[in-house]
Amino acid sequence: MASTSDVRKGVVIKHQNDLFVVVEFQHINPGKGAAFVRTRMKNLGNGKVIEITYKTSESVDIVSVMFQTMQYLYKSGDNYAFMDMKSYEQIEMDGDLVGDDGKYLKEGLDVIVGVYEDRPVSIQIPKKIQYTVVEAAPAVKGDSAAGNVTKEVKLDNGLYIQAPIFIKEGEEVLVNTETGEYSARA
Amino acid sequence: MSSWIEIKDNPRLKKIYETRLQILRLIREFFWSQNFVEAETPIALHLPGQEPYLNPMPVEFLDPRLESHKFFLRTSPEYALKKLLATGYEKVFEIGKCFRNEESFGGTHNPEFTMIEWYRAPGTYLDFMDDTEKLFKYVGEKLSIGILKYKENEIDLANTWQRITVKDLWKKYLNVNLDDYLEIEPMKKLVSGLGYQVSDSDEYEDLFYKIFLNKIETQLGQDVPTFVYDYPAQLCSLSKKCEDDARYAQRAELYIGGLELANGFGELVDARAQKDNLEKDKALRARLNRPIWSVDPDFIAALESGIKPAGGIALGVDRMVLLFTGALDINEVIFQSVKDQLN
Repeated sequence: MASTSDVRKGVVIKHQNDLFVVVEFQHINPGKGAAFVRTRMKNLGNGKVIEITYKTSESVDIVSVMFQTMQYLYKSGDNYAFMDMKSYEQIEMDGDLVGDDGKYLKEGLDVIVGVYEDRPVSIQIPKKIQYTVVEAAPAVKGDSAAGNVTKEVKLDNGLYIQAPIFIKEGEEVLVNTETGEYSARA
Repeated sequence: MSSWIEIKDNPRLKKIYETRLQILRLIREFFWSQNFVEAETPIALHLPGQEPYLNPMPVEFLDPRLESHKFFLRTSPEYALKKLLATGYEKVFEIGKCFRNEESFGGTHNPEFTMIEWYRAPGTYLDFMDDTEKLFKYVGEKLSIGILKYKENEIDLANTWQRITVKDLWKKYLNVNLDDYLEIEPMKKLVSGLGYQVSDSDEYEDLFYKIFLNKIETQLGQDVPTFVYDYPAQLCSLSKKCEDDARYAQRAELYIGGLELANGFGELVDARAQKDNLEKDKALRARLNRPIWSVDPDFIAALESGIKPAGGIALGVDRMVLLFTGALDINEVIFQSVKDQLN
């Protein structure tokens, strides 16, 4: 049994005989009553997401997961393929477990994959990822006067984001993967 | 709020920051228009509060001889504002930074946060429930914002706010009479019966909140802002007892969209009862192996000198901004949050 301080995104918890991967967690100190950890966890069997709150004094049954840096290769149907750059072994992960992070993946990106009993169960992507802008309409004179301070641009992995109007095709930009927004020029 | 460069180039974040500054101005305008006095009290305290589960941040003051004096950053301006009530102020508020250690960096917490706290003496906890509703509606009207947003919840500000007792909540969500679970042993049985862990070291509050946080809190205020009031007395060191049932005390918390926004009390102004409660809290801090300090004798003396029946509440301004702007995270409403500075 582990302590709640070991709970983090990507760990696998055994709860009432089912295995869950933590997709979101927050350590909260409400001021009245002991601190607690609020987790959102996905059932590895049926994909259902539940919310559980643990008091920090409670013990949690965390099962051992190997975290490995892997490189994203390609999307195959609903699944995503990654390669372990040490063993050159290739694995595929359920699109469901990759979730919304899937849209930020681009070929060659290093991510951290949690592997439980040979099965990839979680993925952590960088908070900021660099992309090349492949499509961006040129800024039009009068844009700022009309209040148009952003425009839609297409990135090299096919993702569309809102970027400032001064961003041009071919530029390198950083995207904040927590909000999906333009962060800065790279 | 992210880095300045993100605010500069991201109109959504810039709008959030501008709205934050407007909300700060509107809060002041609201209280000034109600003839409240704006107070300013110390941020660094020699003897901070005794809340068993709060962690004040220590700071060291050096005098000219380089002798060290241990202070703490305030977790709220509560004692100082009540001392001002003892000087004769009847309506007083303070907006300022408060600090709590061992909080998460992000989500709905930042270790440094902005609080508005106000008191009416004479006043009751019903008064501040009215004040809070009027404040939100005033700010919404001035900003032309009618819908508050938190995660997937959208709350129409125009509706009349809901008020529900803790006892009624337990009836509604668990179908139990909380009167039967005001002692630790029956509460232990209830908690373990619901499938949660119980340990010998659990205090009554731990048990209460295991159920409250899992079964009740996330459902509070989803359609309409909700004041939850009259908590079991053992959870209320600074509140006076309910007049019709001394097992409960006059504490109220505001929830909007499942998010806790404010905590207030029908204030305990009886000096002896207050000292007893704070000494018990101090003993609990010791049992929990937390740092301890004396109960502030100057606070007890202020109560002894006499304070009119009072109601007071503390409201988290960052969370209020989060609701008015629909920001995704507390870091988006705070310029240079702890998380941003560490990144």
